Order: sequence, then structure tokens, then C-alpha cells
Amino acid sequence: MSAMKEDVLFQVESDNPAVVDEEVVESRKYLIFVVDNLRIGLDAEYVVEILNSYTVTYLPMMPDYIRGIFNMRGQIIPMMDVRLRLGKMPSDQQSLLVVLNYDNIQLGILVDAVELMLDIPNELIMPIPAQSTQKLVSGMCSLPDGSGTMLVLDCDQLMEHA
Amino acid sequence: MSSNDILDMYIYETNTLLEQLENIVLDAEKENTFSQDNVNEIFRIMHTIKGSSAMMEFDTLARVSHRIEDLFFIIRENTMEVVSEANRPALFDLMLHSVDYFREEMEKVEAEQPLNKDVDSFLSNINTLIAKIKGEDSPAEVPPPAAPAAAAPEPPAADVPPAPEPSGEGNPDFPYQLRVFFDDGCGMENLRAYMLVTSIQGFCAEADFLYEPAGVEQDASTAEQIIDNGFLLEFKNAEDREKAIPTVRTSGSVRSYQPHDYAPPPPPPPEPVEKEAPPPVKAASAPAANNTNNANNAQHQKESLISVNLSKLDALSAIVGEIVITESMVTSSPDLKGLHLDAFSKSARQLRKLTDELQDVSMSLRMIPVSNTFQKMNRIVRDMCKKLNKQVKLTLVGENTEVDKTIVDSIGDPIMHMVRNSMDHGIEENAEDRIAAGKNPVGEILLSAQDTGSEVIIQISDDGGGVDDEAVLAKAIRNGIASPDIEYSHKEILNFLMAPGFSTNQQVTEFSGRGVGMDVVKSGVESLGGTVTITSEKGQGMTTIMRIPLTMAIMDGMEVSVGDSIFTIPINNVRSSLKVTKKDILHDSVNGEMVKLMDSYYPVIRAKDFYNLPSGADDVENGILMWLESGDISYCLFVDELLGEHQIVVKPLPSYVNNFDIKSYGITGCSILGDGSISVILDAKGLYAAAHIV
Repeated sequence: MSAMKEDVLFQVESDNPAVVDEEVVESRKYLIFVVDNLRIGLDAEYVVEILNSYTVTYLPMMPDYIRGIFNMRGQIIPMMDVRLRLGKMPSDQQSLLVVLNYDNIQLGILVDAVELMLDIPNELIMPIPAQSTQKLVSGMCSLPDGSGTMLVLDCDQLMEHA
Repeated sequence: MSSNDILDMYIYETNTLLEQLENIVLDAEKENTFSQDNVNEIFRIMHTIKGSSAMMEFDTLARVSHRIEDLFFIIRENTMEVVSEANRPALFDLMLHSVDYFREEMEKVEAEQPLNKDVDSFLSNINTLIAKIKGEDSPAEVPPPAAPAAAAPEPPAADVPPAPEPSGEGNPDFPYQLRVFFDDGCGMENLRAYMLVTSIQGFCAEADFLYEPAGVEQDASTAEQIIDNGFLLEFKNAEDREKAIPTVRTSGSVRSYQPHDYAPPPPPPPEPVEKEAPPPVKAASAPAANNTNNANNAQHQKESLISVNLSKLDALSAIVGEIVITESMVTSSPDLKGLHLDAFSKSARQLRKLTDELQDVSMSLRMIPVSNTFQKMNRIVRDMCKKLNKQVKLTLVGENTEVDKTIVDSIGDPIMHMVRNSMDHGIEENAEDRIAAGKNPVGEILLSAQDTGSEVIIQISDDGGGVDDEAVLAKAIRNGIASPDIEYSHKEILNFLMAPGFSTNQQVTEFSGRGVGMDVVKSGVESLGGTVTITSEKGQGMTTIMRIPLTMAIMDGMEVSVGDSIFTIPINNVRSSLKVTKKDILHDSVNGEMVKLMDSYYPVIRAKDFYNLPSGADDVENGILMWLESGDISYCLFVDELLGEHQIVVKPLPSYVNNFDIKSYGITGCSILGDGSISVILDAKGLYAAAHIV
């Protein structure tokens, strides 16, 4: 019994490195969400969780795109409305809250919807056109299924405080 | 137990000993003599440092401590009489010097840097002093400490006939033997043996036991003997051996030990049978090394202290915080509404009482007295007195005040800076100047700590020359901090002292004025949420007061609501709450509002307007005024509703949010309420300051 288990364990161990290698070298997982009809991909490594019910506490004296703070199991996390951060109109619909942890800073971002997780090979991601003044985007790529374009979210810019 | 842990323990232990040593020397210097107790204590400290340094293979440290030990061996044998008055200052200096030396080396050990290999000049300093002391000594009296044999450990040499034969046959006077074997290849067996001897001396009189081979401390060749034959301890009394067994068992690197009785008649005690089994000994040996050290330490200090990693305490207070929240979540659960549960309420009350106690205990764990920080100033004042040739006395008041560890750590530098400042710039250059000013020729610096319950007040005052307003102003103008066209008040001029890059002394001295100045003190204290104020009168000295809020991880707060938002105001800041009517509100010239309370006028700040809140009452009659006080500030905050007093756990705001400088708007933190929602904690002082800048 125990010998069998060990075998299984070993198998898993020997399998894993190969899988990881492939992913690290060639592609990354992205969480694709929608904000004002834009498809934005967020490196899945930074995603902590996705919440659909939350209570926000208004925090005064903050920029308008910071909706406030919320309580996730005892942790106090700021909540950012990506629509407002991008300078768009706020949505009246219920948004989803994606909690991310980037560089040990936790931040909740409000998005319209979350579409899917996708492996995207690194070589497919193109730099944004130099003359573009897009905010928060570090690259873009066409989705492999041909359904459109995805913008890669620049977490550094996102965390920057204006 | 990893080697790192042993190293940590070594550093911790050595630093503790150094602190002890420094205090002894400083105290002794005032008396200008070492009492016999002091000498014994220093001897012991040096001894422990030597032993453990050798064990950690820090040879230079072991060598230096060894020489100092020799020095104190002479003093111990001949009492302080042997050191003439003329040599005493040199002795005190040397001791303080060596404390510094060891401290520096400890820092290097900690930073994993190579140690200073060149200790020869330091050693020769010690030797010179030894020679001087011996020179005045009648030659017959003291054995030359340099010769290893003569300086050999006192116990056998003193009053006991050193008899035991190497064969291990024993000594009829010391019939109870204990033979100890160390781990193969553990190295420095002689010093390990000596460590054992020192710890046995802790409970057994030196005359009551012998050891074989003697001279383990000095003579490295005994190591081989120990490897071959074991280290033999011989006791006069059976009880002493019984006591020694646990010590031996818990010592590091002990492979096995065997009790023997010299005289045939007494039957072997029952313990040996079970204790002779080597395996458990071996298993216990590695972790025990640490424990023994610790135990020794505690024994010496005669305190029952353990050292705990601060992160564990932090984790504990975090959990206690969560328990407090959860408790209120349970007891005020909406499910219970309308139910009359007698037994439940009773248990809930009991629970509340216990969590309160738990909280108090967990808070107190982090509290340590400021005495250590204060004591360090003794040294600074002493050194500076010598260097600057001033006579100054440092008076400490309230050094037993207990403050949170983080505060104690961070006030050290500001206090040191202020004390240096007082020494350097405050106290007059010449005693004549002081006498002419009608003051005691000996200057005084007063350092006091006081706990008011909500904050700690640290006060540093000197009776020196005080601040020369004109000189400060001139300097401020030169440095471009002040404008020559404006007339400044005394208070404003004092504030220039705390402006960045300000130093009134013409020259940069060794002690203060390294380009950084009081502004560092100020920012240091402000980072703790505290304030610094300076008062000074020319010719009368200067007083610096630092007020630092106690870290109140858990505090009592008054909850108020404004529209949908809930705010918490620390209860210490709330003076009272009152309903007013429209006609009580007075308007001032700049569109501000005021209210008259108890014959004084106080400004009114509307929380809704100040924070641009989306909802909330506008009509004064629909809300309530909170009369807030903080320090010398007093004002009224207009809010919608008073929700009640609660105990809250303060959580810091996320760092992302803090980047927006929200603190300067009087928002200092937040707390999670019983129902999981968040309340924002307001700082009465910060809010007022922000409202009056805007």
C-alpha cells in the first residue's frame, strides 16, 4: 500500500518539473476580464481570488477611482474601479471584484466580467504602438481563437499612485 | 537546533553580558572602586564570554577576554587595593573600551563579517595595565598571571589539596565521582570541561568539588587527556553530584557520563542505572547546548526570563485581536436578537472577561522598561564629559516606565541625539561660566519618562545656556530657512532648530552636528506618531519633550456615523458629545463656524464637508457635535449620530492607500466591526491640523 503511494508520489514529482519548464519558458496564464468592452489580460500569477459579493467602505480624500476599502477575511484591501482608473464612466451594473497581489501589495479591482483563463505563448504578445497613449497597458495580443484582441494589464502602472 | 540558532544565542547572551558589564563599570566609576562583588561578577562575565567565544571559535575574542580575566584575577586575589588611585581611571577606561570592542565584534559576527584579527595593540594595552598594577604590588604576593599554570583556575589552587591521581582512583575526601565523556571530535574538550566546571560552581562551593585534569582552562593539552580518560569530577557530597548530573546531561556535546563512588561501602545510587544509558544523553545533547547557556544566563541574572522571537509575539497579538473581533461577532450575532438566553449571556460575559484578560496579558508581553535605553545615556554622558572636559551629572527619572518594544527601539536614537546635543551645545563650556551665572558648577541633564496612559512623555532637559534666539535666527536666515524680513516669535525660532540641516554649533563636532540634526529626532518621533516640542529660556537651559502615543493595538473608541460611513474616534480624544441648535452656531470671518461651550469658543468642523462624504446630515439640529481634545487642541466635530462605545482592534490602512498621504487628513487606521464591516479611525489632532491648512 505504502509502496504504491510512494510510486505515485514519485511519478507526480518527475512529471511536474517538465510541465513547469514548458510554461515558464514559453507561455503564461492570463485571466481575461472585460472592462467597458475592452478585454484585458492579467497575469494569473497575481490573482488571489475573484469575489462577487463584497461590501465597500468609503474612504475619504482618495482619488475617485479608489472606491474605498473592503474586508477580506480580516485583511483590509483597497478597492479600485478600473473603469474610473481608465477614465471611463462608472457602470451601474454589479461588478466583479478581482483581488490581486502584486509585489506584496494587495488590491481589489472592479471589473465588468471575467471571461476565462488562457495560456498565451509569450511570443504572441506584442508591444503597444509607441505613439499610443493607452493607460495601464504593457502589451497586446490577438487571442488564439480569433475572437479579438487582449490588452495586457501593466500591474506596475496599476499600483502607481497618481 | 541549527548552528545559526546557537550563534544567535551566543550573540544575545554576549550582548546581555556586555550590557551588565557596562553598567557595573559605570557604577563603579562613580564610586571610583570595584567592590569585591563587582570584581567577581566581571570575572564571571569575562569568563563566560571567553568560554563561549572559544566554543564558537572566535579566537581573538577569547584572547582578549582571557587577558581581561587575568587582570581581574589579580584584582580579585588582592582586592581593589592593588590598583592605585592613579591607575583607576585607566582601568575604567580600559573596561569601557573593551565593552565597545566586544560590541563592535558582536555586530560583525551578526553581520557575518570577518572579525578584527589585529588585537595585539589592545592586548598590549591590557598587558601594560597589568604590568602597572603588578609593578606596585609586592612581588611575592601575586603569581604572575601571564604564566598559564599560575593563573590557572582558582578552585584547585586555592585551599583544597589537589590530590586526585590520574588513574581515577579518586580522593577519599571527594568520594562521589562523575566521569564525563564528550562527543568524539567535538574539539576544545578542555574548554567544554571548564564550562561544565563553571556551571557546577553555580550551585556547588568551590571547596566541595575537584576536577581532573586540573588546569583545563589554560592548558590545551588537557584536551587529549579528556578525550582519552574522560573528565573526572569529584564531589564531597552526594547531593552535589545529584545536582550536577542534570547540568552535565544538558551540556553540549556530552556523549556520556558515569557516576562512581570512591568508597566501596555506599551502594550505587539508583539513578545511575537509568541515567547511564547514553542514547538519551546523546539525543539531548545538541539542543541542550542552547538550553544550558540560557539557563546559566538566567541563573546568573537571577531572573526568570526567556527570550522570544518578536515575530511570535506579533503573531500572538494578531490572533488575540482576531479573537476579540470574533467574540463580539458571536455575542452580538443578529441571530440572537430578541432571544432571552440567560445561560448564554452569562457565559458570554465570562468569555468577555477572559478575552479582556488575554488581551491585557498579550499587550504586556511586548512592554519593556525604558531603563536599558536610559542606562546607555550614562555612558554617553560619561564619555562626553571626559572628551569635552565638562562636568555633568545625568539624572534618570521613571526609567521603569514600560513601553512597547517597537517604541523603545526607536526612541533610543532620538534620545541619544538630544543628550549629545545638551552635552555639546547646552551645558556651558566652562564651570566658571556656570558659577558666574549662579548655577551649580556641575551641570545636570535630566532624562525622564512618564506614562500617561495614552502616551509616553520623554523629557530631556539640561540646565545649560539655553537657546540663543538671535544666533538661531541668524543661522536660520543664513541657511535660507528663515526670511530676514519677517519677525519670528520665540516659539517659531525654536522650531527652526528642528528644520532639516540645522546645526547651531560653528564646528561639526565628533558628537553632534554631523549635518543631520534635530530634524532627524523630529522625523524619528513623528514616524511613531509622536510630537517633539522644545522650550528654552536663555541662560536657563533647554527642555525637549517627546510625546509618543502608546501603540494601542486594541483601544476603546467612540463610533459615530456620517451618512453611510462609520468612523471611530479614540475615546481619549472625546471630551463630550452635545446637541446644539442653529442659534448656538456662530460664524467667524472666514466662513468658519464656532460654538460657545463653557465660556470659550471652539471651532466646528463638519465631517461631511471636510471629507466630501456623499451623504450625511447638513442641518446642525439633525446631528450631534463631538467635542474632541488632543493635546492643546480642542474643537467640535459635527457628525450624524453617535453609535456607541466599542473596543476595537486597530488595523493599519493598506500601504497602497497610505501612499495617498491620507494620514495627513486625520485618518490613521481602520478596524473591523463585529459584523465584518470596516470603520475608519480618525485622529482628532490630524483632522484639526488638516482642516486648518486647507
